[in-house]
Amino acid sequence: MGTENPARPTFPSRPAVTPFSSTGPVAGSEPPSYRPTPAAPPPAATPFSSAGPAAARPGFRPAPPARFNDPSVAPPPRASTPGGPYQQFPAAPFPPTTQQQRGPIMGQASQAPPFPTSLPAQPQMPFVPMGSPPPQSAAPPHLGSNAPPPTFQPTFPGYPNKPPGAEMQPPPMHSNFPPNQGNYGPVPPAAPSPFMSHQGGYAPAPPMAPPVGMQPPASVPPMGAVQALAEDFNALTMQTRPGTMDPLFDPKELPRPLEGDVEPKILVDMYPMNCSPRYLRLTTSAVPSSQSLASRWHLPLGAVVCPLAEPPDGEEVPIVNFAPASVVRCRRCRTYVNPYMTFTEAGRKFRCNVCTLLNDVPSEYYAQLDASGKRVDINQRPELTKGTVEFVAPAEYMVRAPMPPVYFFLIDVSISAVRSGMIEVVANTIKSCLDELPGFPRTQIGFATFDSTIHFYNMKSSLTQPQMLVVSDLDDIFIPLPDDLLVNLSESRSVVETFLDSLPTMFQDNVNLESAFGPALKSAFMVMSQLGGKLLIFQNSLPSLGVGRLRLRGDDSRVYGTDKEHGLRLPEDPFYKQMAAEFSKYQISTNVYAFSDKYTDIASLGTLAKYTAGQVYYYPAFQSAIHGEKLRHELRRDLTRETAWEAVMRIRCAKGVRFTTYHGNFMLRSTDLLALPAVDCDKAFAMQLSLEETLLTTQTMYFQVALLYTASCGERRIRVHTMAVPVVTELADIYRLADTGAIVSLLSRLAIEKSLSQKLEDARTGVQLRIVKALREYRNLYAVQHRLANRMIYPESLKFLMLYGLALCRSTALRGGYGDVPLDERCAAGHIIMTVSIKRLLKLLYPSLIRLDEYLLKASVQADDLKSIERRLPLTGESLDSRGLYIYDDGFRCIIWFGRVISPDIAKNLLGADFAAELSKTTLGEHDNEMSRRLMRVLEKLRNTDRAYYQLSHLVRQGEQPKEGFLLLGNLVEDQMGGNSGYAEWMLQISRQVQQS
Amino acid sequence: MGLELIFWLVICFPFNVAFLASAFYQVLVLSDLEADFVNPYDASSRINYFIVPEFIGQGLLCALCLFTGHWIMFLLTVPVTCYHAMLYMRRQHLIDVTEVFRVLNAEKKFRIAKLAYYLTIIIITVFRLVLMGVYYLDSEDE
Repeated sequence: MGTENPARPTFPSRPAVTPFSSTGPVAGSEPPSYRPTPAAPPPAATPFSSAGPAAARPGFRPAPPARFNDPSVAPPPRASTPGGPYQQFPAAPFPPTTQQQRGPIMGQASQAPPFPTSLPAQPQMPFVPMGSPPPQSAAPPHLGSNAPPPTFQPTFPGYPNKPPGAEMQPPPMHSNFPPNQGNYGPVPPAAPSPFMSHQGGYAPAPPMAPPVGMQPPASVPPMGAVQALAEDFNALTMQTRPGTMDPLFDPKELPRPLEGDVEPKILVDMYPMNCSPRYLRLTTSAVPSSQSLASRWHLPLGAVVCPLAEPPDGEEVPIVNFAPASVVRCRRCRTYVNPYMTFTEAGRKFRCNVCTLLNDVPSEYYAQLDASGKRVDINQRPELTKGTVEFVAPAEYMVRAPMPPVYFFLIDVSISAVRSGMIEVVANTIKSCLDELPGFPRTQIGFATFDSTIHFYNMKSSLTQPQMLVVSDLDDIFIPLPDDLLVNLSESRSVVETFLDSLPTMFQDNVNLESAFGPALKSAFMVMSQLGGKLLIFQNSLPSLGVGRLRLRGDDSRVYGTDKEHGLRLPEDPFYKQMAAEFSKYQISTNVYAFSDKYTDIASLGTLAKYTAGQVYYYPAFQSAIHGEKLRHELRRDLTRETAWEAVMRIRCAKGVRFTTYHGNFMLRSTDLLALPAVDCDKAFAMQLSLEETLLTTQTMYFQVALLYTASCGERRIRVHTMAVPVVTELADIYRLADTGAIVSLLSRLAIEKSLSQKLEDARTGVQLRIVKALREYRNLYAVQHRLANRMIYPESLKFLMLYGLALCRSTALRGGYGDVPLDERCAAGHIIMTVSIKRLLKLLYPSLIRLDEYLLKASVQADDLKSIERRLPLTGESLDSRGLYIYDDGFRCIIWFGRVISPDIAKNLLGADFAAELSKTTLGEHDNEMSRRLMRVLEKLRNTDRAYYQLSHLVRQGEQPKEGFLLLGNLVEDQMGGNSGYAEWMLQISRQVQQS
Repeated sequence: MGLELIFWLVICFPFNVAFLASAFYQVLVLSDLEADFVNPYDASSRINYFIVPEFIGQGLLCALCLFTGHWIMFLLTVPVTCYHAMLYMRRQHLIDVTEVFRVLNAEKKFRIAKLAYYLTIIIITVFRLVLMGVYYLDSEDE
């Protein structure tokens, strides 16, 4: 495995530092991995346009790679294993060979080799639920007639009888065994389900049988054998409960993502110069080498990009300025210079890693090569060592002068808005953020309010008071002033502050019920169309006047389950789509804040955000006393986070692979160019790729995400993320390198999109079907070698996929039907899923449940004791103890659950004197005692882990129906609830469907 | 005989040529869009400009075929008219600029099919036109 396969073609474009490159570049061999861009030479001013038609591609094709078995793709050391001690059995199926080669695995001796039942050599403990007896003692009584013979009989159907004592017989075998057993020893004997409950002919093998059966047949070359056998799968065994005939999974055994999202580490080890997974994650960190292989991977194949993700503290994206030269790019495929480009001919040329074209190095960028072929200045050039860099874009990347940050606020001042107190919160928050708006001193700001008329405010810096201008002709919208409606914040600061101070009182006696939202939107567009920018809409009622008025479509229960159902989730009036398209064209991004307690048609309003890279915030039945804090935080975050203006994003990859569909909030400006009028660190975009060629001849595929944007400081920049991934020929490798987080993110975006054109039921079935297909294919990989009856097998990398699939089907956006979720909330949840990053999505799907009372009651607490509350519990009713205090946190809200018999001490300390009162009227505030302060610290900590949304805390007491039901119990995704299946049943359904093939 | 000739020459032929041209233009714009020669805003406004006139013209022609008793032509055109009417009722007849790339392939296929259909109609028209012309000239001679 450590040897380089000599038959493999060398990889000319690989830099000498990659783990792969054992040989230098081979001149003349140009794998045709370059993808001709069809675009004609565009005007020089358009950024990102591909350069003209390409030259003929080289005719020479290197021989296809024999096999991809570099050491670097070998299974990496596993991260710490969450869950119970026997939940998973990663890696090391064949201890003799694999453990020798993969040192790091040795540390995890507790993993048992996941072996088929038919192999007598194998201790079967891992598949047995908790009750499995230690191999030394109790196995024989259960053997029954099915016990395999104690002597070795090769039972692999596909494996020839292998001559014993071959050179593969590993010396350390016996030394490995005892430690394994030692780990089985302490299996807790107090098991709920007896061992004999196993179905079928499955019985544990005598533990000390000779391990000869594990030997790969001699006819297979050692390397291939190792790779084929190094595959690991996890398995769950079905059992029958005594008394019933239905097979079940032991709920304790099911895998649970209690550690949250785990970023894939495999690629980071393989290609250390890749960008961080927080920017770009692939659903599987490998590209299938052929279309037929790709078609056997039934899960989505694609990427999730979060181009501006916040780097952890202390880490910064390096900014590179090539001035006076232009940005160094491949002249054919327009790939930006990146660490995988190789410099040759004494540094005068560089070979593009994507299309393998040999480019001239611009004279300003020239540097000599040292003896190892590296540029001598490599350490001063972050673009040659880091996967993520920012280039300062010269003038040819600008269509116009870089725009200043522009914020325009469109605020509903009708009676419902006044009553809810929204205006006051908004005005105060904006005022408090004025100092922190990005882009000082160029920032521009403007306001308009509307009810049945539209009010503009002249904020010219020479005025002392803002002037209000009212437009009441809704059919023929005009702007009363050519400028001064959008003013420079630093110049008109005092006018703006005066305005914000007076705004809440200005309309406090307003009794106007109507909402001329459409005309107001049009007028805002007219004001902003010169510059673009960010439009923040605060809408409190259903638009009722002028163009774009919406009707109460009602959430008609009769429509559900029919073909018309999806229409409710689509914009009703084409006006909103047209406006969104216009907004995107003029670089305006729209964020919609909706507050109504009645139906406001988020489906229509959300369209504005959907195509303009915006976001939808929904606060149903907003009351400033309750939800004010949440709005304050989220609006503040929206206004102060670093924003990239007038951006376009493109993801490039080498020839043979093409990104076909894109999912998220943006508008496509051409087939692969995402127009993002304003984008920030909280937005992620997903895309699916497909193979264009039947067979890929390269061994590494490169992806490069480029985001061209105007920074708030007025500099035009290009942020480039580069990632290299291996091309693999084995389906098992694709499964092994799969990334559940990215898959779930793509799957949920696809499901949400499906719910816009089909019934909810269809969207849910679609999710389940994809998981079933994927697991079936995986099962087929192993079904021949191993007897798998009554066992459900799945790859280690996808062990949480089933649970997340279930959680997705039970998420607010997709669950149930008419009565389960109000239509607006469903649409808003759909919008959230379409924008959030992977980490946030996974948290939303499988929230954390933490027990708090022990922490609160602890006598003394050190600062680092907060760690002790990070232990997440399974999301099931059984985790809840009626003596405890629990916090349920899905990243968007916190629910604090008081057990029925919780000590009155806790309740009194946390809730104050009225602790016995109705909790819905109580809000959580800090009281003057240690316990309350501790709870506040915990909440603070939870909120600080992710600042994109503010978790408003809701209090609920056990047994307080129906509040407890819809706040907490309905969200415990592992429990059966209503028509939804619980985790165990869901697994059973999937397992049955998988085996039905 | 004169009326018949007028129907084929003055009404049917120019109408169908116009439809053919419009369908061809739309396909052209869509492939330009695919190759990034036009932006989606221009492309969809150019295409949408022709859609309603085409639908009306096609409907008129169909009705005319019915009233003048050209049964074969009527039967040929009526399915397309119905399809157009259905698209219009569902408000799906125009190209949606926000989703144009998602539906690009389907729209292109639809328009290529329409191109083929109009071509067939035009061949029939020309055939009938020539036939009528020959008959007419024949009767003039006698």
